Amino acid sequence: MGSDEAYNFVFKVVLIGESGVGKSNLLSRFTKNEFNHDSRTTIGVEFSTRTIQLKSLIIKAQIWDTAGLERYRAITSAYYRGAVGALLVYDITKHLTYESVERWLKELYDHADPHIVVMLVGNKTDLGSERSVPTEDAKDFAEKNGLLFLETSALESTNVETAFQNVLGEIHRKVSSKEVTRGSISAVSLSSPVPRAAGDPEEKKPCCRNL
Amino acid sequence: LMKSFSSLSIWTLESLSGLGEDGSSIGSDSEINGLAVRRTDKYGFLGGTQYSEGSDKDIRVDVARQRELKWLDMFNNWDKWVSRRFQKVKLRCRKGIPSSLRAKAWQLLSNSKELLDSNPGKFEELEREQGDPKWLDIIEKDLHRQFPFHEMFAARGGHGQQDLYRVLKAYTVYRPEEGYCQAQAPVAAVLLMHMPAEHAFWCLVQICETYLPGYYSAGLEAIQLDGEIFFSLLRRVCPMAYRHLKKFKIDPILYMTEWFMCVFSRTLPWSCVLRVWDMFFCEGVKIVFRVGLVLLKQMLGSVDKLREVQGMYETMERLRNIPPESVREDLLVQEVVSLAVTEALIERECSIQVRKWRESRGELTHQPVRRLHGTRDIHEHKRRASAISSGGSFSFLGSIPPPGPLRASSSLLSLPGFRKSKTPFQEAEEKNGATAPRDSA
Repeated sequence: MGSDEAYNFVFKVVLIGESGVGKSNLLSRFTKNEFNHDSRTTIGVEFSTRTIQLKSLIIKAQIWDTAGLERYRAITSAYYRGAVGALLVYDITKHLTYESVERWLKELYDHADPHIVVMLVGNKTDLGSERSVPTEDAKDFAEKNGLLFLETSALESTNVETAFQNVLGEIHRKVSSKEVTRGSISAVSLSSPVPRAAGDPEEKKPCCRNL
Repeated sequence: LMKSFSSLSIWTLESLSGLGEDGSSIGSDSEINGLAVRRTDKYGFLGGTQYSEGSDKDIRVDVARQRELKWLDMFNNWDKWVSRRFQKVKLRCRKGIPSSLRAKAWQLLSNSKELLDSNPGKFEELEREQGDPKWLDIIEKDLHRQFPFHEMFAARGGHGQQDLYRVLKAYTVYRPEEGYCQAQAPVAAVLLMHMPAEHAFWCLVQICETYLPGYYSAGLEAIQLDGEIFFSLLRRVCPMAYRHLKKFKIDPILYMTEWFMCVFSRTLPWSCVLRVWDMFFCEGVKIVFRVGLVLLKQMLGSVDKLREVQGMYETMERLRNIPPESVREDLLVQEVVSLAVTEALIERECSIQVRKWRESRGELTHQPVRRLHGTRDIHEHKRRASAISSGGSFSFLGSIPPPGPLRASSSLLSLPGFRKSKTPFQEAEEKNGATAPRDSA
């Protein structure tokens, strides 16, 4: 990754949702500004990182991309460990992928930190003419369930940046307002702003009060 | 489906971006109206991380010809070679099967040739079935996402993708209780690069049911168990890598899932993939374990290497993107061949891990099926099965029952052969200098 830059926070974010909704392309659009019509299926887990500036803070986002096929859920609990944010993605042109959102949400809360920041993401707005999930429906659902919500197009690069920025910002807000418990804050790994110290970031003591 | 194919048969250049400025002429010769300008490497790749830069050394023509003759001789007396001169067969697989004969060799080694011959018309019959829309929908979504940089699979709706659909669909009809698992697609695609759909289908059946039973089944228990077995073997083989992964809490399933489920077909440079598959078909899952162990040794086996990957993410990144230049075909094979990880060791570790699983997680939902360790094991199994049935055309020769729900009466330890620490095959193998365990427990 060549990420030798200093940073204040490391936030782990997971991408979840049915197979083929565009998780891997949202990831590659955000971290590499790339889109591929024929990206390989994700088997197991992929991940990528990107460092962004949020106000005066440098945040390193470590984004885990998981296989969407139901069969792989058996091994996903390890992916969720330590995650402080999640993008729950569906395809606005495939209603079935939206119908399974509730199942994914349950899955997430079963395995992840209860304070995890979740954004519902309706992807593929470039295929607006084939839309089968009305924006309002998803928006209502998100509101009722306390989720952030945004529609994106990884292909046209619409709202991808905003989606990740909002999730990372919300995570930061929670962390600094100490909404998260001590137990879960240790998952939000922090490092000193000066040259990155080697070692397991998860083992470092939380130090947000110093910031 | 054909209809959706025709509407999709647009040449997608985007997937081939970066392959050359005059992108319009790039592509599979069969897809572009006779205007084919082939820019593939010798394996058919147009680009991507598995593209070979032509640095692979070609073996001399006379040597290649010699090898072909030896293999043709083996083909003519296959059963005899397997039962009486198996060490030689194994050695020749380790040297690499001549590419012109690879397809036939894989089919003989896996015994899928016999399934094909004893089930005439079966594949067509499976194709004619409607199939479960739940699986077909997922399969269709995956067709353009397998080896998008290979000429055979690059074109939407092209022959490669159509055949892939036929093979994967047929499997879901053949084993409706198993359905489709995404990792089967790259495996089937590798087979299709070498053989026609019907042959690839039976070969896939052997991989899913005999070599790697349970790998693609719901719950993915078999792959998780093998992850634990793998990690425990790593402790013996390379304690330094083991400690590193343990320190950073990197579960085996985080890096070995794709390696094992796809038999390294998405991980290694292509020349290595073929050599690994040659050995895998002959010697079974042991090869998969060994390749994984050699890779970890290579990536995390020294203080210097560990210094570069201080952290969970740095380590994961390294394991997810193994630099092709760090895997040399000959060195990889040499290390795999000399690694002291035997079938007996794997089986012993397996029973330990199954016990641990039951203690910590309760009963397995799928009955662990004893896998067959390659050609010799399959051959033995077949011989015993035909001795029992001794009644002519036995249609699932060489195949073992698919994993199903656990039956109360059957426990793993009561399966024949499981308790034996050594089968005659393993003894024979341990006598062979090439694989003699250096530090057998």
